[in-house]
Amino acid sequence: MTDDSAPFREGFDQMLATVAEPVWLTFRRRAEMDRFALLGFPTRRQEAWRFTDLEPLTAAAPLPRAAAGDDPPPSPASLGPWLLPVSTHRLVLANGHVAPSLSAGPPLPDGVWLASVAETLRRRPDLLEGAFGDEGGALAALNAALFTDGVVLALAPGVILETPVEIIHHTSAAGAHARLHIALGAGSRATVVETAMGPAGDEGAEGGPAGRVASWGNTVGVVTLGAGAVLTHLHVQAEGPAACHTATVRAVLADRARYDACALITGARLSRRDMAVILAGDEAEFRLHGAYLLDGDQEATLSVRADHLGLGCDTEEVVKGVLAGASHGVFLGTLAVAPGADGADARQVNRNLLLSPTARVDTKPELEILADDVKCAHGATVGSLDEAALFYLQARGIDPETARRMLVEAFAAEAIEAAGLPDALAELAHRHLRRWLDGRGS
Amino acid sequence: MSKLLEIRGLRARIAGGREVLKGIDLDVSPGEVHAIMGPNGAGKSTLSSVLAGKPGYEVTEGTVRYLGHDLLAMPADERAREGVFLAFQYPVEIPGVNNMYFLRAALNAGRRQRGQAELDAQQFLKSVRERLKLLDIGDDLLRRAVNVGFSGGEKKRNEIFQMAMLEPRLAILDETDSGLDIDALRAVSDGVNRLRDPARAIVMITHYQRLLDYIVPDRVHVLADGRIVASGDKTFAAELERTGYAHLVDAA
Repeated sequence: MTDDSAPFREGFDQMLATVAEPVWLTFRRRAEMDRFALLGFPTRRQEAWRFTDLEPLTAAAPLPRAAAGDDPPPSPASLGPWLLPVSTHRLVLANGHVAPSLSAGPPLPDGVWLASVAETLRRRPDLLEGAFGDEGGALAALNAALFTDGVVLALAPGVILETPVEIIHHTSAAGAHARLHIALGAGSRATVVETAMGPAGDEGAEGGPAGRVASWGNTVGVVTLGAGAVLTHLHVQAEGPAACHTATVRAVLADRARYDACALITGARLSRRDMAVILAGDEAEFRLHGAYLLDGDQEATLSVRADHLGLGCDTEEVVKGVLAGASHGVFLGTLAVAPGADGADARQVNRNLLLSPTARVDTKPELEILADDVKCAHGATVGSLDEAALFYLQARGIDPETARRMLVEAFAAEAIEAAGLPDALAELAHRHLRRWLDGRGS
Repeated sequence: MSKLLEIRGLRARIAGGREVLKGIDLDVSPGEVHAIMGPNGAGKSTLSSVLAGKPGYEVTEGTVRYLGHDLLAMPADERAREGVFLAFQYPVEIPGVNNMYFLRAALNAGRRQRGQAELDAQQFLKSVRERLKLLDIGDDLLRRAVNVGFSGGEKKRNEIFQMAMLEPRLAILDETDSGLDIDALRAVSDGVNRLRDPARAIVMITHYQRLLDYIVPDRVHVLADGRIVASGDKTFAAELERTGYAHLVDAA
């Protein structure tokens, strides 16, 4: 049996020899690398990966850069289209390292810690010790072993951070393993926008052999919400066509905490987002709204598992898929209610629009109900554009291409609107959606 | 005055299916209102679909000239931009597409075609308000998605409102009276009457004589088994009310 960790070992040993970080972390990294070696890259033989073929990545996974200065950071102009239209606390990561020259924001209010992982390890290692581990499968293990940097946001109880935190992951021609740690104290509130992007088109894509990816962003997000805390989290994945993007998010919600997540996925040759949300406290709420819009040979998987452990928890998921060209979309949604987690209310909808005969979608909604008093509903649909609506628009003078675009935009926008995002975030999401529609040329 | 619409020997079938129109001849001049009546299955809705360019029908013979141009050669959207308007029997619900956004796109598509400047948001809104007032429609209709959650009457009024906004040369009303109670029928009819214009022709397709009490036509035609079997002036409708279609249909 081959050891998938072998290609990473040399750089890994080098890194451990040069970085100055707490001993517990070095142990942790070694343990995670061993865990990855044991697990290996996920394959389609595993049930959760049946529809996701990682071959374009695993054939020759891009390796991490050793230091922050190895790649030129993205130009500020190239970031423009992806930025929120309001003042933000911005952190830009270039290939997994926070680039201070591109990061800025107003002074932080009292009770807010927002800094790179590197800085946090130097100044507030207590915020990270104990916040590692058990984040998921092999890809999360590799991230924990190799991560170079990331972002830590920690709010003291009762602190309201009005200004959104804006995190840009820019990945070009390398393997980037970044972490995002969000810990909101009881009753605190924050808004985080995470945009993953890279060089557009073929620029910067060093272009491995055909069918392989040129860059790989592999992030892990760890979200801890205290009692009554509220996190709004918009994720925009707009990587270039030669990129691979994988993300593992694990969120734990205390009593009455609320996690409003919105994911908009349009980029990368190959992507997968795995979310595991644990509604541990009573009356916790989880919302996931989002859409994947794919074209060409793109493949994307959105996998989400919501575990209801507390009493009277509430989950709502509305995910739309738009598949053009020969693209392939996958939605895996599990709603789980633990024994005794009575009063759970969980709803999940996955609707897909196929725009071409060669596009494909796999949708797998699952319920694991082990409590008695629950309300759970799920549904999945796959269809094509409504011919009657298309004709109606044309009968009013709208040309067929514009008519199709209007219907696709309306279909996907519904998921954004249902998310009830703050105005600036909604504008960014709609702008991104229109950008996708513009680029596709119908 | 030249004809707005000239239909000659029009034969059409449902794609891959049976022939529904079996030789229609019809002339419509600007300013005229024509009513086309007839029993179920006579081909009334097929005629309106063929004129509007709805997919799923094949014209096998005949010609349709609109303002001297070959109407059948134009795709549906171009017909609409050239001033042909179909008020749908069953207006389609389009979730997520706002009524105002849709209407402005439609209006400006027509204006571009005619070489006119597009209306900006303010000019558009002004035009909308004038039409709403003319037709006595509340503006709550506009904030919603196209036809979504509209009652039957609201949908039909929305069709007439769109007609008022798009100012077609030829309006085809396909069973606009169906499913309306008497108040809604009166409101829709008032709207249509306000849109009568010397430059505009209206072709009403209807099942019931009732509509013609409210919108008085210049010409009335009976369509039976794919052909126009009888025509007359507005008094003909009253005569039909007494005699029914049966003797005309049998004769056909």
